[in-house]
Amino acid sequence: MPQQIKRLIVAFAFFILLFLVLRQVLKPSSFGDLGHYRADAIQENIDSELHYAGIDNCSKCHEDIHMDKAIGFHANLNCEVCHGPGMKHVLYAGNFTDRQLPDSLLLYKPVGRSDCAVCHQVNAARIKILFDTIDNSMIRQIDAMTHNPVNKRTNEKLNCIDCHNPHQP
Amino acid sequence: MKIDKTKLSRRDFFKAGTIIVGGIAVSSTFIPFDGLLFAIERPKGKGKWYGIGIDINKCIGCGKCAKACKIENNVLDEPFYFRSWVEQYTIKMDGSILVESPNGGIDGFKQSVPDEEIFKSFFVPKMCNHCAKSPCVQVCPVGATFETPEGIVLVDETYCIGCRYCVQACPYGCRYIDPGKGTVDKCTLCIHRLDKGMQPACFEICPTEARIFGDLNDPKSKVNEFLKNHTCMVIKPHLNTDSKLFYNALSSEVR
Ligand code: HEC
Ligand code: HEC
Ligand code: HEC
Ligand code: HEC
Repeated sequence: MPQQIKRLIVAFAFFILLFLVLRQVLKPSSFGDLGHYRADAIQENIDSELHYAGIDNCSKCHEDIHMDKAIGFHANLNCEVCHGPGMKHVLYAGNFTDRQLPDSLLLYKPVGRSDCAVCHQVNAARIKILFDTIDNSMIRQIDAMTHNPVNKRTNEKLNCIDCHNPHQP
Repeated sequence: MKIDKTKLSRRDFFKAGTIIVGGIAVSSTFIPFDGLLFAIERPKGKGKWYGIGIDINKCIGCGKCAKACKIENNVLDEPFYFRSWVEQYTIKMDGSILVESPNGGIDGFKQSVPDEEIFKSFFVPKMCNHCAKSPCVQVCPVGATFETPEGIVLVDETYCIGCRYCVQACPYGCRYIDPGKGTVDKCTLCIHRLDKGMQPACFEICPTEARIFGDLNDPKSKVNEFLKNHTCMVIKPHLNTDSKLFYNALSSEVR
């Protein structure tokens, strides 16, 4: 065998060995457990924080409102659709027996006209009546600008919730 | 075997050829060639395989799903970063198509075309399709994006080098680069909620049950019932991404 080839073989063996050692040191332990990725990354994704609590949690403390809502048109609506994320509220509101929550635990109250209009404003894409059947897909639409904007007798501006109970509209 | 280049006989040629071709054929029975297989396959029998159904007929375009997604996953507030968003398609009488998505639908939609000019109009909520043959996973050069055994496409932030190949590869536009972290970000199907037995935030919040979510491997799951009862279609089926997001009443205009 020529001299050059022998030297080359030694050099190759050295670099391959070096690669194997480095790979062993640098490779994260869970890489390749489930595929060509770090399996621990799944757990890292799972560890992120929750913000939305889900409707079952609200009814534990606000049973009355839950019952009201369950028989109204808004029965399918999750509380957090209107009130915003409530995980902190669910976890810590129970600590305040005097019913005086600090500001950080208060939830958003959608009292404005625009809050209802997000769902109820007339729009051709909100299907009014689907094949003449009453169906979940149907949402009653109003024009927030013209639907009872002011009290006719006193000329006061009216909000939606002055006439409609948001929990039982 | 020694090949004399100056005098290669036909016999020698066949000998060498047989050894090379035969050797490859024999060795491939021990180590099958799997370069064309996908990393993940739908588990047979037990094992979850998540699927999504969206009913376009039921969507009222309130944009609450897009908002809930941003809050739940701490997505940047600027209007170009979305993991989940809603588009309004308006097909006019003259056949032209208008697609609008002001701030992903978070602030609600305003009808911009007068009623007389509209042939039809509808909302399309969009999110990651969690494809089984994800183009984005295939192009990742460092193994930073992958599919879990349940079929959820995730990103490993510590591995991502921000090369943007996957952003280009996704045919549904569901990925973006987080300018703060410099890494790619996308829908995780709220895997942190799934793990605790809850629904993903956008499904939890939907006021009209337009979004259905479940295990495709469980014949009694909600999503399988949805698929049975509706005529469902995926977006861009010709790309063969094996998307797991099924739309009811999907128009061919939707891209
Ligand atoms: C641990 C019990 C508990 C749970 C669970 C809970 N709340 Fe409350 N909530 C309270 C208390 C206590 C108050 C303050 C007193 C009151 O107004 O009744 C309150 C007040 C509120 C208010 C009024 C705040 C204000 O500005 O006056 C809203 C809105 C509300 N809760 C919504 C929710 C929603 C939505 C959920 C579900 C995500 C929820 N709550 C779950 C205990 C709870
Ligand atoms: C359609 C949107 C909507 C939904 C859905 C909704 N709320 Fe409300 N909620 C409101 C509005 C608007 C107010 C403010 C009422 C007011 O100030 O008079 C309010 C007020 C409240 C208050 C304050 C107490 C009161 O009566 O003023 C509580 C507590 C509350 N909601 C709990 C809930 C719970 C629990 C649910 C789910 C079962 C829920 N809400 C669902 C819109 C909604
Ligand atoms: C997240 C979307 C959403 C928001 C916000 C919302 N609604 Fe609704 N509302 C609905 C849906 C969906 C229905 C239809 C439910 C059904 O028919 O099954 C409905 C039904 C109603 C109805 C009954 C219409 C009928 O069929 O006669 C009234 C009234 C109403 N809402 C008023 C309000 C008011 C007032 C507000 C603001 C406090 C409000 N809604 C906010 C989704 C919403
Ligand atoms: C002056 C009181 C008043 C105010 C303020 C008011 N409404 Fe109404 N609303 C009514 C009455 C009465 C009806 C039932 C008669 C009708 O269909 O017009 C009604 C009907 C509705 C309906 C059902 C429409 C249908 O086609 O059946 C919806 C949805 C609605 N309101 C939403 C709203 C919203 C959203 C707001 C705030 C932007 C609002 N309302 C403000 C009194 C009011």
